[in-house]
Amino acid sequence: MTGKLSLTELQLIIRDSIYLALPDFYWVVAEISEIKVNYSGHCYLELIEKQDDDTNVKAKIKAVIWSNRYGFIKSFFENSAGESLREGFKVLVKARIEYHQLFGLSLVITDIDPAFTIGEMAAKRLQIIKKLEQEGVFGMNKELDLPLVPQRVAIISSRNAAGYSDFMNHLNDNSFGYIFYTALFNAVMQGNETEQSVISALDRIAANADLFDLVVIIRGGGSQSDLSWFDNYNIAYHVTQFPLPVITGIGHDRDMSVTDMVAGKSLKTPTAVADFIISCVSDTEEHILGISSEIKEIAQEIVEENRKRVDKSKNTLAPVTRIFISEVRNSLTEKIFVILNRGKEKSYKAGIILANLHSRMSSGARSSVTGKEKMIEGLRENLVSHTAELLKRNDHKLTAFSDTLVILNPENVLRRGYTITSMNGRILKSSDEVTGGDLINTDFINGSITSRVTGETDND
Amino acid sequence: MTKKEFSFNDAVLRIEEILKNIESGEPDIDRLSSEVKQASELIRLCQKKLRTTEEEINSIFKEMS
Repeated sequence: MTGKLSLTELQLIIRDSIYLALPDFYWVVAEISEIKVNYSGHCYLELIEKQDDDTNVKAKIKAVIWSNRYGFIKSFFENSAGESLREGFKVLVKARIEYHQLFGLSLVITDIDPAFTIGEMAAKRLQIIKKLEQEGVFGMNKELDLPLVPQRVAIISSRNAAGYSDFMNHLNDNSFGYIFYTALFNAVMQGNETEQSVISALDRIAANADLFDLVVIIRGGGSQSDLSWFDNYNIAYHVTQFPLPVITGIGHDRDMSVTDMVAGKSLKTPTAVADFIISCVSDTEEHILGISSEIKEIAQEIVEENRKRVDKSKNTLAPVTRIFISEVRNSLTEKIFVILNRGKEKSYKAGIILANLHSRMSSGARSSVTGKEKMIEGLRENLVSHTAELLKRNDHKLTAFSDTLVILNPENVLRRGYTITSMNGRILKSSDEVTGGDLINTDFINGSITSRVTGETDND
Repeated sequence: MTKKEFSFNDAVLRIEEILKNIESGEPDIDRLSSEVKQASELIRLCQKKLRTTEEEINSIFKEMS
């Protein structure tokens, strides 16, 4: 039988066939499911491709980066992506297929494109951010007020991490002498257990949230740390929902993880977190001191102001009183003058009034006298005229009387030839009164005669 | 009957009122001397109060610092 092949020969045929069939380098997209570096510096990986459900694996292959390439690839990747190669990363690798009679089929990776992983990570991070934003929780931890004096600090870190001891030393050796009460909630800060471990620590703190002022999440700094463990939806979500402010010091020079983004405050290193906490306390103390010195100043100002006020009153009291008294005195003097002047004035005025009165009186008198005179004159005139009239009337009367008298005067009658006959002294007015023989007396103007009646004659 | 608490503000207001009265020639001479006496007494009390207040403030801040 000539067709017999040793196992080695068969393997060589397989190797050569594969080499002939697939001689080129291929750029392959895969996810790292395992990665380890052995003592001689070779890097062994397992690459997989998951199904669309992101859980079941539909393709798998071993891969190796020989140590002569690995050093270069590793540092280039880390410098570019800010991450070291690790499980879970999607990578674009340049590889050729190699077959080894002992180790079988594997990919020999000669290059990895970090830009692809960066893009993948960014896309993943973006997706997480978007989801948190859509849920409306992204800024929730930032809305919590940082305590004025954060002295009770819950720490999520790894007990052995350099970052943790840096943080503790920095916090406790603060130059102000502030005392901080810290409690470590030990957690895995890197690797596949990170998510579950950090969330469990958060839950334990949340159960005693009233014992703490804030939470810090810290780990060793430097670009060696993988940020992407904290580009984790669940950790970020827990932080957004946390009842206390969360401060991160996950230590990364270049970029922020989603956990940093949602934290109440994010700082680069654990020492920076310690500084920040110390500065919160010292700011508050400074503020209080400032206020107290302001109060002191204001109080002193008020005292000073009132002192001035009182002093002013004190200084003005005496002069004001003196001025008042002298004013009163002056006004008294003035009043006296006024009174005197008024007296004078009054008597002067009285004089004038008297004089006036006098003149008024005399003129009044005069005018009244004149009036009276006039009246009297009137009266007199009336009297005169009336008297005259009366006289005249009486005169007429008298004239009439006198005329009558003249007429009646027996003398005149006698003169006119009439005689008066009387008998025994009595005027005879009728012939009947006599009888013959009677002696009668006849009066003439120039004498009388006595006669005897001799006969009687008939009357006409 | 309780003794009325000394009020700095009232006292100063009273002092200023008296001064204003005197300045404006308000008070009658009968009350002048009693008002001036009152004002002087109030000024004395105010000064005392200020002094003690200042001392108190200083000692409070001395305790604080």
